[in-house]
Amino acid sequence: MSIADVKAKHRVVGEEIVRHDAVEKVCGRTSYSADAALPGMLHAMLRRSDVCHARLRSIDVERAKAIDGVVAVLLADDVPNNRIWVDVPGQTLEVGALKSFQNVLADGIVRYHGEPVALVIARSEDAALAAVDAIEIDYERLPVVDDPGRALDDDAPKVHESGNLLTEWVLEEGDVDAALRDAPVVVEDSYQTQFIDHAYLEPESGLAWLDTDGVIVIRASTQVIEHFRDVAHILGVDENRVRVIAPYVGGGFGGKEDMTVEPYLGLAVSRTGQPVRMVWSRQESLQARQNRHAVRMRYRTAADEQGNLIAQDIEILSDGGAYAFLSALVLLYSTTCAPGPYRCPNVRIHSRVVYTNHTPCSAMRGFGGMQVALGYEGQMDKLARRLGMDPLELRRRNFVEKGDTLAIGQPLPTHVALPELTEAVESRMGPRPLPSGPDKLVGRGFSCNLQSYGRCVWLDDWSSAWIGFELDGSLVIRIGVPDIGCGQASSLVQIASEVLGVAPGRITIHIGDSALNPLTGTTTATRQLYMSGNAVLKAATELRDGLSEVAAAMLDVEADRVVFSPDGVHDGDEPDRTVGFPALIAECARRDVPWQRLSVFNGPKGAAWKADERWRGRVLPDFTYGCHAVDIELDRETGHVRVLRYVAAHDVGRAINPASVRGQIVGAVAMGLGQALSERVVFEEGQNLTGTFAQYLIPTAVEIPDVEAIVLESGEGLGPFGARGIGEPPVGPPIPAIAAALHDAAGVTMTVTPFTSERIADAIEGRTGAAD
Amino acid sequence: MLPRPFDFVRAGSAGEASAILAESDGAKVIAGGQSLVPMMSLGLVTPTCLVDITGLELDGVEVLGGLVRIGALTRHRELERSAELRSVLPLAAEAAAVIGNPRVRNRGTFGGSLSHADPTAELCAVALAHGGRVSLEGPEGERSVEIEDFLIGYFETAARQGELLTGAELALPSPGSGTAFVEIAERDGDFATAGAAVILTLDEGRERCAAARVVVIGIDGLPVRLAEVEELCVGEAVTDSLLDAAAAIVERVAMAEDDAFVSARHRVRCARACTGRALRIAFERARGERQ
Amino acid sequence: MNISLKVNGVAAEVDVPPHWTLLRMLRDMLLHHEVKHGCGEGVCGACTVLLDGVAVNGCLVLAVQADGADVRTVASLAEGDALHPLQRELVERGAVQCGFCTAGVVLGALEATTIGAAGSREEIRRSLAGNLCRCTGYATIVDAVEAYQLTR
Repeated sequence: MSIADVKAKHRVVGEEIVRHDAVEKVCGRTSYSADAALPGMLHAMLRRSDVCHARLRSIDVERAKAIDGVVAVLLADDVPNNRIWVDVPGQTLEVGALKSFQNVLADGIVRYHGEPVALVIARSEDAALAAVDAIEIDYERLPVVDDPGRALDDDAPKVHESGNLLTEWVLEEGDVDAALRDAPVVVEDSYQTQFIDHAYLEPESGLAWLDTDGVIVIRASTQVIEHFRDVAHILGVDENRVRVIAPYVGGGFGGKEDMTVEPYLGLAVSRTGQPVRMVWSRQESLQARQNRHAVRMRYRTAADEQGNLIAQDIEILSDGGAYAFLSALVLLYSTTCAPGPYRCPNVRIHSRVVYTNHTPCSAMRGFGGMQVALGYEGQMDKLARRLGMDPLELRRRNFVEKGDTLAIGQPLPTHVALPELTEAVESRMGPRPLPSGPDKLVGRGFSCNLQSYGRCVWLDDWSSAWIGFELDGSLVIRIGVPDIGCGQASSLVQIASEVLGVAPGRITIHIGDSALNPLTGTTTATRQLYMSGNAVLKAATELRDGLSEVAAAMLDVEADRVVFSPDGVHDGDEPDRTVGFPALIAECARRDVPWQRLSVFNGPKGAAWKADERWRGRVLPDFTYGCHAVDIELDRETGHVRVLRYVAAHDVGRAINPASVRGQIVGAVAMGLGQALSERVVFEEGQNLTGTFAQYLIPTAVEIPDVEAIVLESGEGLGPFGARGIGEPPVGPPIPAIAAALHDAAGVTMTVTPFTSERIADAIEGRTGAAD
Repeated sequence: MLPRPFDFVRAGSAGEASAILAESDGAKVIAGGQSLVPMMSLGLVTPTCLVDITGLELDGVEVLGGLVRIGALTRHRELERSAELRSVLPLAAEAAAVIGNPRVRNRGTFGGSLSHADPTAELCAVALAHGGRVSLEGPEGERSVEIEDFLIGYFETAARQGELLTGAELALPSPGSGTAFVEIAERDGDFATAGAAVILTLDEGRERCAAARVVVIGIDGLPVRLAEVEELCVGEAVTDSLLDAAAAIVERVAMAEDDAFVSARHRVRCARACTGRALRIAFERARGERQ
Repeated sequence: MNISLKVNGVAAEVDVPPHWTLLRMLRDMLLHHEVKHGCGEGVCGACTVLLDGVAVNGCLVLAVQADGADVRTVASLAEGDALHPLQRELVERGAVQCGFCTAGVVLGALEATTIGAAGSREEIRRSLAGNLCRCTGYATIVDAVEAYQLTR
């Protein structure tokens, strides 16, 4: 199907409709999770650990409790079920469910700086803060593991009794040792990425209260309303006694995928029976909430003289911090994506994630698949230089294609547009810029990538959606999707409008309520458009099928001749003959035909990994591919980089709302550039030193150039109308693209992110005139 | 987090402010609050009492012959944007424009910047480059202190307990001088890694420097005036070889220390670059070759 | 301390502790939740309000220092459904994603255009350097401010 065909087919899908939530947001009318207050509301605040590894000899809360306005101070013993258990796939070679845990409140031992120790509930924030200050903790310091490389040494201190290895994957396809031995060209290098904070503008926050029938309602900034189950387990009540509501979220990026304020709000309400609000400070958000994994990689890549890949030998060591959270799955994505979008007959990957006393790591946009882009693309550039080949030509020679299988056994079920993407980017870049002064250098870099959309197939992912007409012909969608700012809700409106004809302005969507909406799964893993979009598409289509019969009878035509439009349903051959939606619904009522529909969409399934080195299988539903290019100017004396021009191309299958798609691409590129150049969470002997936005440097409007997004629509993708997910895929390529541009400009091989001015200037001074 | 509780007094006069400050160890002055309030929010300072001086008439800039008097409450934004002030104090205008972000510049004050004495504070460097005296009002009355004697260390000034900085008188360079403020920050608007403030005055032939004032930030716990570089410039044109010599001096006198985010080596590297660039720009401006 | 001020044209008498910031008072006493708490250290700009017409970070001004002031928040700009032209540009150009920075962006950009500090894309970018946005990558925000500036 050509792109023109795809475009011609649709009425609303593919239009840049203005998101319905934008108007309220720009007026300040959107109520985020902390933008509410209730009479008698209490305030909850955490006392967190001041040190990164210690036994808690004693916690003295008497002075805190005596402060005027303090209602309660809770410790581990006050939590009905203090452990949050997580099933971790893969543990050493015995792959299977490892039970791992984190505590709601520290139980005798703290393993990272900022770990919650005590929960203060007070009538005012001032009283809560005074109480937090007044809690006295006697620490018995324990030896610290602050280097993932040393975590596995026999004499390393143990973060957990079970040992410091959290998960390990080993896979080999072909005979890597023989291939490396015999290959004409082998390049190798080590790469390292840093801890990254999500740094959304809205800190973790929520307001909770006790509703009728003993239901605790938690209105919180979250990507996952399904955490009502976890809160219920912690409180020891039935899952149906906890309801989580996610209002519009002020940014997520994976940082609100694990619970943040929810268990504490649940505890506080259950303890006091009163409404409670909790808002984390920026310091807490930066220092104590999960980071993106810092990853060390070692790559050996072999090729023939023509640049055809022969072997890849890859080692990955990921720092998971003090608790497991989603580390095992993040590592699985790293392992899956590690060879990049390139064919290679012999691949060995050994990946491990370890416990340290750093802030725990978990989900973040790109989820393990983005860090390895620095490794596989760094290798391609190095190989191209070694062979004297154009870097894009080398890549084109090796791109995977639809029907290929990645080393882990992952099939690629849809079109791989990498050749078209590289061509589009190359032709957009135009002539190379000139340096603006004698102390400046310019450089250009390219990178390609693949990044999955949809959750791991072992998780049996599903989404459900409810769509119904009101009697006046307006339409309602109910779906438990949290909208974290990407336009999730708005895109679903567009899909329903496309199918049922109703104008977007006459559709209301109720989202993010675990009690009143059909559950649709997490707003994570670039899965909402894919999964919820398919659920809405399915519900809308099935609803339309039922209504078509009735409309056809009313119009006295065959059902396949009716057309749904904003005014109602008309005869496709005689558009003047129309039945309005109110009349259609009334007729449905008379005929006992439902004018509402609840539908479930199931994602693809797969067999879980087995403890077998020859296991091969599908891990993920599908991938989105991209090619990026960047021009930089570099100050040769101080190492400062200015990004002059950036072009990012992705095949999104089908752009439901092209403006939203471009917004995702440009925003993700900015985030990737921040990781490439300036952002880092700095630790000193396990202590997290990065507590302010003056230290954690996300890019401002000055650092980010006008990023140009190229949106390709192959028409092939597993989402509605052939869409692919685009939320995560563009975040990885900026890092290798900048690295390539730095090499182009100054001949330096940068392998450790962020490429700060200091590191770049050091590299320039260390290797003037050298090249590899 | 949140500032902890404190008492608050609106001073009706500089004398009243000084009396309160003299009485209490834990009292601090608040004006624009752009450094003090975040430090209180982060729990880094916990004053028992704040004395608000924003109601005093301590703003305004006045030229008095070869001096310019700047009131303590003059906002960074006025230095940056007022056309009149830009022509009198172009160095201060250039420096003020890179302090924090527009809203910080809207509130932050000249006196606050000098009193806070952040080691990389732009306006401390500017004041030191101009030279002059700060005025202090204390329990025993007014006194003035040379700026070089006022900035004495890392977040440390010569103000005694009870003394309020009411303003400063800066020396104005001769007409036809060129000035330049250059700084490097890892991200726009953030604390500088390093920076340099330069004032060059040419001799009658307008080919060589007759006088120079050179101040560098980022190489020590306070702004450093580089007398050696100043002497180097006198009687010379700013050439590549002069810049090389200046860079060597920066390197030699630097007392920068590593911190968790930036190494001393990189601060010095950036300071070297800033010094050279500021010298070149100031020279070109003095010669009318550059805006 | 008792202070009086006007917020969006409405007079208010407030008894506020001296250590409360303007941001905290606006949100927790006067329920102006359109003013956002993002960082509390004056870097992110989400709490931007106009204080006697001058843009400030609400988190860096003590409430008692706003005694007698005329405070304007983003909620004062639109009249019913009629958006301020700058707001309209932001909406139509897709410059709003999560929306948490938006209130601050609107007021920061409004001040920049008012005082003539938004004459070029580069000036707009510098004017917005204190308004962090983690979603958009800024380009659409700059587009919107530029378009608004051209229509003024």
